[in-house]
Amino acid sequence: MEKTINVKKIVLQNLVLLGIIVLCIVTAIVEPLFLTQDNFTNILRQFGPLSFAALGMTYVIIGGFIDLSVVGTISLVGVVTLSLIDPIGQAGALFCGLLLGTFLGFLNGVILVKFGAMTQAEVLFITYGMSSIFGAIALIYTNSETEHMSRLSNPYTIFTFIGNGKIGPFTASIILFVIALIIIEWFYRKTLWGRQIALMGGNKTAATLCGYNMKKTLVLVYTICGLFAAMGSIVLISRVTTASPVAGAGYETDAIMSVVVGGTALAGGTGSGIRTVLGVLLIILLSNCMNMLGVSTYLQTIMKGLVLVIAIWLDNRKEQQIH
Amino acid sequence: MKKMIALLLATAMVGSLAACGSGSSDTTTEPESSTEASTQTDSTDAAEETTGDDTAASGDAIKIGWIVQDMANESQSYSCRIAEEQAAQLGLDFTYYDQAGDAQKATDAISTCIAQGMDAIIINPADPQAVVPALMEAKDAGIVVGLFSSDLSEENQQYRDFFCGTNDTMAGEEAAQAVIDAFPDGCNVVEIGGQSGHDAQVKRHDGFEKGLEGSNITVLDSQNCDAWATEDAMAIMEDFIVKYGDQIDAVFCHWDNGATGVINALQNANMEDVYIVAVDGCAAGYDQVKAGTQAVCIGQSFSNMVAKSLECAQAAVNGESYEEINWIPLDIVTADNVDSLPYPEW
Repeated sequence: MEKTINVKKIVLQNLVLLGIIVLCIVTAIVEPLFLTQDNFTNILRQFGPLSFAALGMTYVIIGGFIDLSVVGTISLVGVVTLSLIDPIGQAGALFCGLLLGTFLGFLNGVILVKFGAMTQAEVLFITYGMSSIFGAIALIYTNSETEHMSRLSNPYTIFTFIGNGKIGPFTASIILFVIALIIIEWFYRKTLWGRQIALMGGNKTAATLCGYNMKKTLVLVYTICGLFAAMGSIVLISRVTTASPVAGAGYETDAIMSVVVGGTALAGGTGSGIRTVLGVLLIILLSNCMNMLGVSTYLQTIMKGLVLVIAIWLDNRKEQQIH
Repeated sequence: MKKMIALLLATAMVGSLAACGSGSSDTTTEPESSTEASTQTDSTDAAEETTGDDTAASGDAIKIGWIVQDMANESQSYSCRIAEEQAAQLGLDFTYYDQAGDAQKATDAISTCIAQGMDAIIINPADPQAVVPALMEAKDAGIVVGLFSSDLSEENQQYRDFFCGTNDTMAGEEAAQAVIDAFPDGCNVVEIGGQSGHDAQVKRHDGFEKGLEGSNITVLDSQNCDAWATEDAMAIMEDFIVKYGDQIDAVFCHWDNGATGVINALQNANMEDVYIVAVDGCAAGYDQVKAGTQAVCIGQSFSNMVAKSLECAQAAVNGESYEEINWIPLDIVTADNVDSLPYPEW
């Protein structure tokens, strides 16, 4: 009896992994080309931009909040970074892009604290508003035109490497992502600041009573999210070699979806970046597999929606069954 | 220190809010007011010179309400910008509104135009069906109604005075013809569509399908994107490369900036000799044709489209004759003629 419960528990806890395996097996049977090295590289490349944005989002959600401003951040950081390559060189542009993202995240955090927005609903609307502002600035900045790296006179080799370079079988962006993941997970698990994020998501009142400054933690998670959105944006422009002022559209929902599908509770308090990696993988694989199988775009969108709904339903069931 | 930071942030916020207002607001803001001022001065002499009809008699410039489909869309905001410039040259009183891709906002903008006593409304509707009731009201109020880029369906065409646009179905057909011409012995082509369900995507796809009918060209696969995003086009192309590899001889991508992603994907896979056809005629398309990475760019001339719309609106308001349906010819841009055509500004 004890044994069956354990199996059930393991299955329930690793449903995403199970979903990924089933998806891969089905696709590989129908389309054997799915299992080639080329497709592996493909998936790793497509993994790039979303994985960074979703990782940043993970800690906001663990902290019990949500950030819709990643759309605006990705768009704005992208166009600003690309436009700075000519005047200040590629390394400077890269650094400024990351700095801008971090600042935008910090700005979000400070505004939320100043406005006393401490519930998920308030945060939802304020970050949505911030996203519109960032997005509109991006549109004004570029005259709503797409910028192209091919028109630059300075070299942009760093970006080409980040976007399409490879070390062995791995793409440069995935290596950067793994390094970022290790650092941020260490920070989240091993430092006091990191633990406060989970504490804040679990129970704000208790955390405040324990003497922790929740406002600082809130600013911290949004700053992290801004930085990661900027990294995502840089990987994105490096990959496509263009920066569109509306390039961020859709990233907020995909990022939140990756986090939730990965198994981080929307209510906050628990979760991890590693789970999000699985969530991102499922979303990327879903579109890769559907393209391989020749499924139409409309059906792909339905599938994506279904996965999200089922993930949240299973998440609730899992909670009930484990406890 | 804290106060300083707060003050700084507040200033930045106010600044960004003000900046945002001028970009995507629903009604006229700063840039227009300056244009209005200038139009009013040059409009008086222009109107007096050219016409002796009722408009000139009243001494007012013709008031044009330009309703943009979505200012966040590159080609649409470019059209709006040149419309503003051309209207100033023609001495028209020009105001633009942004429907931000939303049918409800389009209806609101039309109502505002009626209330403001516009002489003509020129609209590129996000949903041509949804604006019909509002356009009926505008017609009742005696306002000239022009459709830009997307036309109303046939049964509703009585509610508009004229239409100017390029034919997206024709663009698809031209793309098919380009592929047929390049591969007289037949070939394999993949199609990467624009935003799934968007009017232009549907028509370009239909035109392409129609154009290929009866030819010996095989369409290996066709997928649409979630948005007009280069990243989407690139990801789909990468998947196609894995699935079909060297079988792919040609690619039809629905828009030039998407073709940039297609080119990147092909270059990463060392497939440099694939024949790429795309629609739009933006600077990126011209650059790619010049660089030899894109074979054909099927260009729509927005400046001709805008000029025709304003010309028709002016004629309609003045009671002069004009064509009801105006298809603006497409430019077929290839390496042979790219240098002789005017370089696009968007």
